[in-house]
Amino acid sequence: MGEFAHWGIVERRYSWAMRVEVRLFGPERAAAGRDTVAVDLAESATAGDVLAAVGEACPGLSLAAARLAVNHEFAEPARAIASGDEVALIGLVSGG
Amino acid sequence: MSVEVHIVDGALGPYEPGESTFGVGAVIVFEGVVRPAEDGVPIEALDYEAYEPMASRQIGAIAHELASEFGLFAMHVWHSTGRVPAGRCSFRLVVESAHRKEGLAACDAFIDRFKKDVPIWKKPVHRGDADSAE
Repeated sequence: MGEFAHWGIVERRYSWAMRVEVRLFGPERAAAGRDTVAVDLAESATAGDVLAAVGEACPGLSLAAARLAVNHEFAEPARAIASGDEVALIGLVSGG
Repeated sequence: MSVEVHIVDGALGPYEPGESTFGVGAVIVFEGVVRPAEDGVPIEALDYEAYEPMASRQIGAIAHELASEFGLFAMHVWHSTGRVPAGRCSFRLVVESAHRKEGLAACDAFIDRFKKDVPIWKKPVHRGDADSAE
């Protein structure tokens, strides 16, 4: 991200490093009306950043209990996301 | 210690017991059956969706952890995906242990973890739904 000041105006320029398709399942897929949601992320993005970006992209989704899975494992919010990772939103599950 | 995970399309068939390991004193079979109503509303079936391979991996990891914690001989798990009619079995847990107490405790602990950490979802199918049998 660069920041430039000219004519008294601060302009922020964001350079997105990667686009991630986050898979949706169950109630979250039904609420969003789609199987995936694409989010643009900075190079240093974390799982927490992805969750926040999904929340912005789909404001109707309730993410209070949602977790992120990266490459089929639950991810802590600080886990770094790399290009090519398989990312899925896991809301409340209901099997068993 | 033996751990098995089976994700099966549709309702589970009848349980077919195998030969227990020497030393097993308790074999516990728990089956989850689709109820004919959800929240008081009659249903025809449940549609299950699993996020694979994560669902199988999570089940295996939980089973290994609990089998070790409770000193089990075996923990074998079956779960359905797709449509399971009301009255049919969609989940089976078989635990083999030396004694009843640790086997029952392991069953309880496993199901609690399953309902929290395994990415499987169910959706009720009501009579008259566009994709119901009628």
